[in-house]
Amino acid sequence: MTDIKHGDIVLAAKGITKRYPGLVANDRIDFEIKAGEIHAILGENGAGKTTLMSILFGLVQPDEGEIYAFGKKVHFRSPLDAIDLGVGMVHQTRKLIPAHTVLENILLGHPKAGTILDMKRAGEEVAQLCKHYNYPLDLNAKVWHLAEGEKQMVEIFKALYRGAKVLIMDEPTSALAPPETEKLLESIQVMTRDELAIVPFITHKLPIVLAVSHRVTILRRGQVVARLDTKQSTEQSLAREMVGRDVIFRLERGKAARGRSILRVENLSAFDDKGAQALTDVSFDVHEGEIFGIAGVSGNGQQALAEVLAGLRKAKSGRVLFDDAEISHLTSLQRWQKGIGYIPAEQRTVGSIGNFSLVENMLMNYHFDDAFSKWGFLNEKKARQLTEALIAEYGVATPSPDVKARGLSGGNLQKLILARVFSRKPRLIIVNLPTQGLDVGATEFVQNKLLEARKSGAGILLISEDLDEILALSDRIAPIYEGKFMDVIPAESAVRETIGALMAGLEKKAAA
Amino acid sequence: MWEFYARSFNASTIFMVAALGELIGQRAGVMNVGVEGAMLFGATIGFIVAKTTGSYLLGFLAAIAVGAAIGALHGFFSITLGGDQVVNGMGIWILGFGLTAYIGYPYTGPLGLERIPSVAGISPFFFLGIVLIAVAWFVLFKTNVGLKLRSVGENPSVAEVSGVNVVRTRYLSVITSGMFMGLAGGIYALDYNPVWNYNFLMGWGFVALALVFFSMWNPFILLGGSVLFGALWQLSLNPELLFEDTVSRYIWRTVPFVVTIGALALMSTQWFSSRWGAAKPEALGMPYEKD
Repeated sequence: MTDIKHGDIVLAAKGITKRYPGLVANDRIDFEIKAGEIHAILGENGAGKTTLMSILFGLVQPDEGEIYAFGKKVHFRSPLDAIDLGVGMVHQTRKLIPAHTVLENILLGHPKAGTILDMKRAGEEVAQLCKHYNYPLDLNAKVWHLAEGEKQMVEIFKALYRGAKVLIMDEPTSALAPPETEKLLESIQVMTRDELAIVPFITHKLPIVLAVSHRVTILRRGQVVARLDTKQSTEQSLAREMVGRDVIFRLERGKAARGRSILRVENLSAFDDKGAQALTDVSFDVHEGEIFGIAGVSGNGQQALAEVLAGLRKAKSGRVLFDDAEISHLTSLQRWQKGIGYIPAEQRTVGSIGNFSLVENMLMNYHFDDAFSKWGFLNEKKARQLTEALIAEYGVATPSPDVKARGLSGGNLQKLILARVFSRKPRLIIVNLPTQGLDVGATEFVQNKLLEARKSGAGILLISEDLDEILALSDRIAPIYEGKFMDVIPAESAVRETIGALMAGLEKKAAA
Repeated sequence: MWEFYARSFNASTIFMVAALGELIGQRAGVMNVGVEGAMLFGATIGFIVAKTTGSYLLGFLAAIAVGAAIGALHGFFSITLGGDQVVNGMGIWILGFGLTAYIGYPYTGPLGLERIPSVAGISPFFFLGIVLIAVAWFVLFKTNVGLKLRSVGENPSVAEVSGVNVVRTRYLSVITSGMFMGLAGGIYALDYNPVWNYNFLMGWGFVALALVFFSMWNPFILLGGSVLFGALWQLSLNPELLFEDTVSRYIWRTVPFVVTIGALALMSTQWFSSRWGAAKPEALGMPYEKD
């Protein structure tokens, strides 16, 4: 790092254009990053962020435009070229091998790893790096044992050990618990003091952008719409540039009449797919007209809980009561018929069937309805009318209800799933990560729909890892950590920091 | 009594070498269910070369070479063409079964060379097998190429972005894997039972395949498993060596397979997988396609 001075332009893109059939993903984009700078790139889904990121890392070649690294024109044919020139990437879906140790992951593909791995020397060098950034890591631990924040640091250290001077980070704070986010932000600020250049790509979580970055480049529909100094911008101004209109950040939760208890869960325990205990002795209830928010970083048992309640997973022990009647033994279909709706986190694999049309996907929650299927025959006309009406009502952007679901964007698909579930007027809605991966506009829509359902008297079990979402929507909040509720806190007395700490397992129930 | 142990060790050698080959391939994510076919090729070609040239060395080299070729063929279908590994592996078995019967038929009968000397009845290949196990362990877990190999078996896309050539690494492993299978066939036909006969293996390759799962992809557990199965197999061939008056050897013959099914059933339980389940290479059986 000796030959780079503060403020040198380390990576620059000039006039980057990339066209796909029917779409200009990147339209003459200019971008530069200086040593010691954090330069965020903001944009909604579909704004061209992913394409730009792939071009900067050598995964995709631009149709036009040039890339300069350290003042020299370069041509990245593959990520390897980018890595060799000092561009490191921290992926949103971790590019690590869970079964291997931290050190093995860091050494994988390293040009100086040697024929016989010199684990001792490499271990000392990486430990030095960890020490420098004040982030202790057990280098011999298997990666699957690590928390999400630690895995991300392993990716960062991997890039740094390989000599990265520029770090591209894809949605760096998604999937992190709030304390982990703070730790990450601290670490990357230390890195800028070492003249590293950091380029986070961000869809939402605007406060984080404001907290750490120096400059922001905002993309919309493939073009740069704004370049701002962070100091001179606000959350509102950033969002306006991203979306192209004003976005309301304070959701009006309003009052809803809290009715009687509709769902009771008693001492529920369950295993995950690998047979490990995912959920331990969880008890709670959800009332009509209430949003019960479960706040936690993914992988703490929320998935198992949602699946048990939806009838997709067997509980190990405990009871589930709906309307005071036990439903533990009921199938998923029987639960739908009783009025329990489920919106899964996996839109593409559980929430929809990619190769089916929108009409067929709509039927997934209507096929058991006599109006839509009689004597084994589907009433296609009726299904089509319903789909068309719901597409209009929910503003699903699609040329026709006959296109395959796989063609819809994440936001539109989620609207379709929401339409399907809400139109059945369920009395209880279990919703897992409803706005995961959605952009600001779609997120706002989904959250408002949940509030509408609450207002009309449905009980809602909201599972989310976005603490802001939980705080904005929930009437009661249960932070979950390693399969256990850390507490159940009414919204009025919820303190952001306390819940953040509980989500990371930092404080025990003593506070309550 | 000793004769039984010695013969068991010799039988286990064949399982050991063949299964070690399969293990190397599977660690890189490529499953070859046609172990039996590759072994048949190695055994038959090795036998023919040794019989016509009178040289054991040439026979073994031929067995290894034909194994490598079979490995490369499997690689071409499952890596380059991205085909289904199980279907292609079955193809290799059927091809080996048919083609070796055709090629080997004129050579039916004993090898007619002086037997390879043994140590107190134990074949030198047993000791070679143990050395190969140790070397394979070292390469897999202590060297750069081993790390790359295991990585392409766990998650090839991660390996790719780390700068590993996934295709080359998988080819390397699948060809090495074939060489071991060819050698195992050679050991069978030139040392263990030097008589050529139609479809003489009758399931050795499939037991080797099962042993890899049994071993949790660990070469040293594989060594233990091979010795256990060698003993069970030998028992099924000559139960009278251990028990004077016993049930039919056809009953004994089922024992290795019953144990295999039992072990695999145990391994698929939740109890087992929650303790040891992480061992299986995650990308096993999955062709790698770049996005």
